[in-house]
Amino acid sequence: MELKIQGVGMTYPNGKQALKDLNLELKSPSLIGLLGPNGAGKSTLMKLLVAALLPTAGTILVDGQPLVKHERAFKERLGYLPQEFGLFDELSVTQFLDYMAALKGLRQPKAAIREVIESVRLEEKAKAKIRTLSGGQRQRVGIAQALLGNPPFLILDEPTVGLDPEERIHFRNLFSRTAQDRLVLLSTHIIEDVQSVCDQLVVIHQGRSLFTGTPEQLIHLAQGHVGVFWERDAGQEQGLHITARVNTGQGIRCRAVAAQLPAFVKVEEPTLEDAYLYLLSREVSA
Amino acid sequence: MNVIRLFSLELVRLVRSRTTWLVVLLTALSPAAGLGFYQPAVSTTMNTLYLANPAMAGGAAGGILFSLLTIFELDRLRRSRADLLTDAVVSPLTTALARLLALLAVAGLTVALTLLGWFPVSMVRIGSVFDGGDYALAYLLLMGLALPLSVLAGGCAYQVTCRRELSIVLFAAFAALSLTVWAGNWQLCWLNPCVWALSDDFSNFRIFRSVAWMRLTWLAALAGMWGFSWLCIRRYGKGALGSLARSARRIYRPIIALALLACAGTAYAAQPFLDHSNPDLTVMSFYELPDVEGVAALRCSAKVFPDTDAGTVTGRACYQFENTSGQARTLSFGINPGYTVSRVQANGVDAPFTVSAYQEYNEARLEVTIPAQTRVEVSVAYSGFPQESLPTMQGINELSADYLCLENSALLPRPMNVRSREGGCRTVVEITLPASMTAIPFSTSEAAVVAEREDGAKIWRYEEKGMGSILYAGDYVRQDIEAGGITIQFYYARKHQAIMEQAGAADAVKAVVDYCVRHYGLPAAFGTSGRLKLIQSRVRSSGYAVDGASLLDEEDFTAANLADVEKGGGAGEVMIHELVHQWWGLGRMFDLDDPTSPWSAEGLTVYTTYRIVKELYGEAYAREHYIGQWKQAVDDYYLNFYVRHPAYLELLPEGERLGISNNLSGMRWYSEMPLKILKAEELVGGEAAMDRILYELFQREPDPMYPYLTYEDFLTACGLTEEELELG
Repeated sequence: MELKIQGVGMTYPNGKQALKDLNLELKSPSLIGLLGPNGAGKSTLMKLLVAALLPTAGTILVDGQPLVKHERAFKERLGYLPQEFGLFDELSVTQFLDYMAALKGLRQPKAAIREVIESVRLEEKAKAKIRTLSGGQRQRVGIAQALLGNPPFLILDEPTVGLDPEERIHFRNLFSRTAQDRLVLLSTHIIEDVQSVCDQLVVIHQGRSLFTGTPEQLIHLAQGHVGVFWERDAGQEQGLHITARVNTGQGIRCRAVAAQLPAFVKVEEPTLEDAYLYLLSREVSA
Repeated sequence: MNVIRLFSLELVRLVRSRTTWLVVLLTALSPAAGLGFYQPAVSTTMNTLYLANPAMAGGAAGGILFSLLTIFELDRLRRSRADLLTDAVVSPLTTALARLLALLAVAGLTVALTLLGWFPVSMVRIGSVFDGGDYALAYLLLMGLALPLSVLAGGCAYQVTCRRELSIVLFAAFAALSLTVWAGNWQLCWLNPCVWALSDDFSNFRIFRSVAWMRLTWLAALAGMWGFSWLCIRRYGKGALGSLARSARRIYRPIIALALLACAGTAYAAQPFLDHSNPDLTVMSFYELPDVEGVAALRCSAKVFPDTDAGTVTGRACYQFENTSGQARTLSFGINPGYTVSRVQANGVDAPFTVSAYQEYNEARLEVTIPAQTRVEVSVAYSGFPQESLPTMQGINELSADYLCLENSALLPRPMNVRSREGGCRTVVEITLPASMTAIPFSTSEAAVVAEREDGAKIWRYEEKGMGSILYAGDYVRQDIEAGGITIQFYYARKHQAIMEQAGAADAVKAVVDYCVRHYGLPAAFGTSGRLKLIQSRVRSSGYAVDGASLLDEEDFTAANLADVEKGGGAGEVMIHELVHQWWGLGRMFDLDDPTSPWSAEGLTVYTTYRIVKELYGEAYAREHYIGQWKQAVDDYYLNFYVRHPAYLELLPEGERLGISNNLSGMRWYSEMPLKILKAEELVGGEAAMDRILYELFQREPDPMYPYLTYEDFLTACGLTEEELELG
């Protein structure tokens, strides 16, 4: 599956410009992490990709065909987990998944439902009414419905929110496995999730694409721009963006990114988070 | 995604919801309101009390409940944001359509459960006149179709506004219009059909058809509106209009919605049930046409073929005229506005004719030009669905396989401006009826079977005096009763036979006739024929009488009415009243009722009814139910705002003004005049003295120039003045 986003712009009726001339190319198999601060345009992009919105400029092509003209066919190949969603509380987990399986037109829904229930570890709650589930369990039902039917394109918006650390690791691995033969777009604030599983990254800021590439490429971009220092040694340097501040027995140890590191800063190997923050700080400074 | 598959999923989801079952349960119980506080149908037949009112209560309550269910269900899905998941799989238009179908299916299920649940209750309460067909039709039409209409209306409001509270307000306003302002307009009261009575003993074919027409009209209208609201379902982050513009790109969608609205508009405008008679009942221009000079009617005959399945009539009437004017003349005939005249011939040659758009008293005016020949035979071929005049009292002129009522111009065109030749004109009617029906001319004439067709249908023939006829037919039992020296032919529905026999109705009839003959003597009409027909009619809220025949409303013969202990277990008092009209009424005794005067046939009839009731049930009963009610009505009349300030009456819309003035006239005839006669009774020396006066008035030799009994005649006979009878 191949998605081409060509010159896409989105301006809401109230005049807010959420996306500006966005160009991306997404190809399966791949697990793509979508990063960006709040209000960057990530949700708008996802809504455009699930045809919940129509772009005001540009086109989205799915396997070379305009999405807007082949919406129905595209939706049949899509698994979507929005950031906030509701479930039919009056149904049990299995009934709900059966409902979604029917919507998706699955031919052997029982096997597919059993498979996704196992994969999200909800076997014990399979017959429980949805209204009785906890927040994390509801999130897992949401993931299950997205995975149902093995859709070739998965869009997951903050899928690990509300999950405990162990579950997060489980789902990270699940998404990674899923992406072996499919296209998965994962939007998250948790850089750790992205770092561990994504082979591609897209960073969006103020409606524009800042970076497209592998995590390694992003990290490489930040080489020589990340360092640590003791707060007591610091001067009044401009352009130094502190990303961490740790109280230790010897004083306060700071981690920072900057286009030009001052002399009192000791250069460190950047993490993906450092690289991401460096990228944003560079953009803000510019 | 297949809509049908999605529909079944939505249905399963709906029936798993507790809210759905609560609505289903409340709707199924809501007919109980019709047994208590919500009784829009005013008649007292068993089917009205225990079938029409419960079904209509179920329709109104169920409609409101289902509309709320629709709004809450659509809103819940939106608020819970479950639609984010479903919309990513299928179009929101598809899910909305499936949800609508699921809600309609639940509505259907609810009606089925209600039908089953209330069956034993209705059967027991209605008793021996219970009819399964009427039961099913009443629940399906009076209740059942209100539910889908409400689902469509609620869904329409929500799909346009996307706001729960606003949708509820919009629906409430729409329902309130039906329950209040539109309640008297049979085509607009979509939630609560304009049904005033259901017959026990005869069919309800016409009223059910009328309700079905109204329901289907609204179904098309609301489906069309729903169609447009469906296109307003929010998509691509757009508002209602933006979504409409986007969804309407598939042009067949708005076309279907428009077509449905056009169907509704056509059905509204082309309804076949009601005519467009002048609502001002004081205008009687058709009865005031001057007779055409030099033309006299010699004879009239008609062959009439009712189609009892379709409810239509096909007929051919022939009139023989003598035209001594030496000129071509234009004759007028009154014809039922529902009929189409296909051909008119004069002496075998096609004659020009017109049918007026203006209608009055359930007649349109057919004008035919006859040639300047001495003998002219005019034949008129007509057919159609006979229309009625009273929108809030439909069903009186029933035409079905069980009952038939063809009055005057509904039977055959009535010559309006031609006098009869000297010695009178006669009308011969031949009518083909199903085997089970007995034809009963509403006169002294007797109908006889002259032929029988292979399919069992019988051809009945009878001859009437004058130009025109009224005919009743149905599955009747005839009982001959000797009373007051004459034979009473008492016709009542076979379905009612057990109840009549149990109640001893024949004995009651005998008692009333004996009383009137004893006090006032025998009406001249009985003297010539020696018989009187008493015909039980389909419910019509009143009876009426002509020479030799009196119509009695089935309402007075219901099991409940006949067994009413308060009334002494005798037959209903309207029956007595109508019988009394054989003495105080009919064309020969009283002139046409004058709406500006309290003097009419009703005054003496009501007074005499009171006297009979007093004799039968005792003074206390008669004082409470007659004198007390007259006084109350008169007091109310003089306190009435429009009586005290008539200028304001003129400011009201025509329909409302006529409704009020007609009611006020009726009150003066039925309450004020009986009170005046009662006052006269006291002033002349009591009941015996009044009886003597009335006997003399009844037996007087009338003035041939004006053979009617006037108020002045009455006052003179009593030796009183008008002022002396003024009510204080």
